[in-house]
Amino acid sequence: MNAPCASGIDTRAGVRASGLVKRYGELAAVDGLDLDIAPGEFLGLLGPNGSGKTTTLHMLATLIRPSAGSAAVAGFDVTREPVQVREALGLVFQESALDRTLTVAQNLRFAGLLHDLPPRVIEERASALLELFDLASRRHQPVGGLSGGMRRALDIVRGVLHEPRCLLLDEPTIGLDLPNRRRIWRFIERLRARTGMTVLLTTHYLEEADGCDRVVFIRKGRAVESGAPRELVARLGRHILEVEAADLDTVFSRLEARLGAGLRDGEVAQFRCADEDVADLARLQADIGSRATAWRVRRPNLNDVFLWVAAGKVLH
Amino acid sequence: MRLRPIYAVLERELVRMARQRTRLVAAMVRPLIWLLVIGGGFAALAGADYQRFLVPGVLGMTLLFGAMLAALGTVYDKESGVMRMMLVAPLPRAWIVIAKLLAAAAAALAQALLLLALLAALGYVGRGTHWALLAAALAGSSLACAGIGVLTASFSRTLENFAGIMNFVIFPLFFVSGSLYPVRELPALLHWAAMLNPYTYGVDLLKHAMQAGADFALGLDLAVLAVATALAAAVAAWRFSRESAYEPMIRAVLGPSQ
Repeated sequence: MNAPCASGIDTRAGVRASGLVKRYGELAAVDGLDLDIAPGEFLGLLGPNGSGKTTTLHMLATLIRPSAGSAAVAGFDVTREPVQVREALGLVFQESALDRTLTVAQNLRFAGLLHDLPPRVIEERASALLELFDLASRRHQPVGGLSGGMRRALDIVRGVLHEPRCLLLDEPTIGLDLPNRRRIWRFIERLRARTGMTVLLTTHYLEEADGCDRVVFIRKGRAVESGAPRELVARLGRHILEVEAADLDTVFSRLEARLGAGLRDGEVAQFRCADEDVADLARLQADIGSRATAWRVRRPNLNDVFLWVAAGKVLH
Repeated sequence: MRLRPIYAVLERELVRMARQRTRLVAAMVRPLIWLLVIGGGFAALAGADYQRFLVPGVLGMTLLFGAMLAALGTVYDKESGVMRMMLVAPLPRAWIVIAKLLAAAAAALAQALLLLALLAALGYVGRGTHWALLAAALAGSSLACAGIGVLTASFSRTLENFAGIMNFVIFPLFFVSGSLYPVRELPALLHWAAMLNPYTYGVDLLKHAMQAGADFALGLDLAVLAVATALAAAVAAWRFSRESAYEPMIRAVLGPSQ
């Protein structure tokens, strides 16, 4: 296998899906999804629970069969050439894919042999990767005794031991505390800097997707928005107005009349404002007066994009 | 053909077995209780030769339990992360089944060899033992038992079924075979049941090798074991590769899809 390196990105490392569908009985978990990931690209697949992110990943990883449509990883078709696809990609599941009864080294040996790597190569790569992921001192410890963060790190090591051209990460930081989430991200960054591999990830933590080259929002199994995080945030608007009020319904409809469609997120209403609206805001605030218990104008972020897209609103 | 993945599964099985001391001790104590306590007791009824007759039976018992428990480890694998590792490996699905079968057979064989050494030390392995045939009998029976094991595992999704499998698969296979009594002496119904049990022929082969009064021809034993192993492996591999059987398992392994 040609090991991709930072200088020469492997041109066969992309991911392509067109009209991908997965039906479970009546329910379409994925409903005509199109995806085009360039070799070396770092793409985030975002969307609310049940939007089809994991199902998409599992179809790309050949674990489940698409009901319709087609997909290819590194140029190999997921239904016709599943073994080649699995050879070209690394997959890190939401739940650990490790044997808790074996040691760190034994787990990596098992995973490496399953990928038909010679034991000497496994040794070398495991040493280098464990070093990279700060796990070198844990080598001979049983996996059951590792912390959650270390186990996740080891899971990623396991997923890239065979030097896949494309890495799929399903919620790589779910269930981890903030320091551990940061560590995992540092590891992924190091890995990308070293190998230049294509990375496709799903995540709930939107601030984490900021580092992606591009994000794709999916909703009800379809891609609804896509772009560089900064570009999507810019498309949302220059400012976000957040209002809290005891009688939110009245305030909401009055503001909607002036600012266009808003978003209700629990006790908070959100509106998108362009620069020219800002001058109006002071007047609006005076108008609403004490009916608003909180009134904030701030810069939008990817979380806002997520909320607007999840609510089914199209960005303009 | 890639052999390293098969070796990986085999190695893991043996590493796990060596680590699980209690499993290993149980695998030695169980047959020895049958031989020394129950065999000793029944010798009073059936004559002193009964213990000698029982030696192939308890050797087979170790193979049967060892292979079945190892193969049923697949069910544990489904619930832990190990099956995830195997599912993303670049192998045809059927390969996982074959690897698991060979690993279970190897684990069973290792236990049987250990027991054989113990039996020899206790003086239960006669001078007339045909060693080459014994080797073939141990290998053939362990493969057949592992085949039945992976077949059973392919039908069970959760470990909760385990007690059921013990009661409805392993015990009947053991009791309705020639392990404890000559098949030809059994009443008609049990006789037929024993004849339909592939494990019977494994025990019979062991009896041939240890000259303990076999019931069937050598060729028949070998043929039945070969066919049973191939058939069980084929059905298990088919079930494992088949979409409808395999997707619910994927979902069980991966958790609910989103």
